[in-house]
Amino acid sequence: MDFDPYPDRRVVGTARVPGAPQKTTPPVPVKIIVAGGFGVGKTTTVGAISEISPLTTEAEMTLEAVGVDDPGPATAKTTTTIAMDFGCVTIDQTLKLYLFGTPGQSRFSFMWDDLVRGALGALVVVDTSRIDDCYPAVDYFERAGLPFVVGVNTFNGQLGYNLDEVRWALAIRDDVPVLQFDARYRASVRDALLVVLDQALDKAMRMRSS
Amino acid sequence: MTNPAEPDEPDRPAAPAVRPFLRTPGSGPAYAPASAPEPAPAVPPGEQPASLRPFVITSGRVAGQDAGIGLETQVSALPGATGARLSPEQRAIVQLCGEPLSVAEISARLRLHFGVARILVGDLRAAGHLDVHVLENDFPDPETIMRVIRGLRSIS
Ligand SMILES: Nc1nc2c(ncn2[C@@H]2O[C@H](COP(=O)(O)OP(=O)(O)OP(=O)(O)O)[C@@H](O)[C@H]2O)c(=O)[nH]1
Ligand SMILES: [Mg+2]
Repeated sequence: MDFDPYPDRRVVGTARVPGAPQKTTPPVPVKIIVAGGFGVGKTTTVGAISEISPLTTEAEMTLEAVGVDDPGPATAKTTTTIAMDFGCVTIDQTLKLYLFGTPGQSRFSFMWDDLVRGALGALVVVDTSRIDDCYPAVDYFERAGLPFVVGVNTFNGQLGYNLDEVRWALAIRDDVPVLQFDARYRASVRDALLVVLDQALDKAMRMRSS
Repeated sequence: MTNPAEPDEPDRPAAPAVRPFLRTPGSGPAYAPASAPEPAPAVPPGEQPASLRPFVITSGRVAGQDAGIGLETQVSALPGATGARLSPEQRAIVQLCGEPLSVAEISARLRLHFGVARILVGDLRAAGHLDVHVLENDFPDPETIMRVIRGLRSIS
């Protein structure tokens, strides 16, 4: 490698054998999370833009029962294996975007810090017939300070509610974009991801200037 | 009982988070449920794989020192490392990583639980078989994000 394109992102913990032949330098990976309830179109979203057909990995997620009435010591934490779909988009030889589709359940809040660490942001996919399925994801990304965008997947062009109603139901901050997209179409998913990236850029600029 | 992905959850269910067929008796006490140990399957001595595979799965280690290894972390094989003492899973990882690969892809292609794949990758790095390209920054810088934006915009 004759130049360092990412002076800010130093690679650490690389133990090269001295004198070993130069191997392909890996790309810098960045990731966006695609979250939402069951069957809202997460896998469809990932598959629409990924250059590989989505792969699945199983991982542990800590679930905490949402007990609004009873926040006592009995608040149950369980660990569940979840299946995550993921895909990728090669930006160029030195940069690769990963998309991780992760399920949520309405009665549990999930905590999985591996997932959000280093993530650019998240697209929360919503089916307007079951809006509350996405509450845990919204809660979690708000608490984690991760930029996110709410994407209402238009099943057959049908929107049960308009976007303002979705925003109201989710009680999200005004600066969180709520948009409409179609998970089956690459251009539509691309545009939704570009809005996520816009939010991520804002955060990166704020971090730099502080 | 410990479990690779969540070492600090003593009160979770005892079921270990590895594929069932990997829970052979010899794979180490860390993977035998404390409350309900499985009866040892009747395997002829010559075909008992566990006794020949001391490093099977994760040698009972849990995550922690590998915390910097994420789903998207890139892994590549180091040349010249011999696989003589590696478990089949470890050897498969080294073989897969001739070209750089993410830990998520390793996990998916080998059907290993992500937590298990991460521990194996960490061990292989420690043993000098793998380059693990851990990034120091938590959040990408604006220039990197701009490049992703330009790259995505060019997709039609
Ligand atoms: N008509 C229509 N069907 C869609 C749309 N998005 C997803 N689907 C269909 O809805 C079903 C569920 O979509 P998936 O992408 O599998 O949803 P998911 O969120 O990954 O589901 P789980 O992983 O099971 O939680 C599939 O049969 C899709 O083909 C859409 O925009 N329009
Ligand atoms: Mg899915």
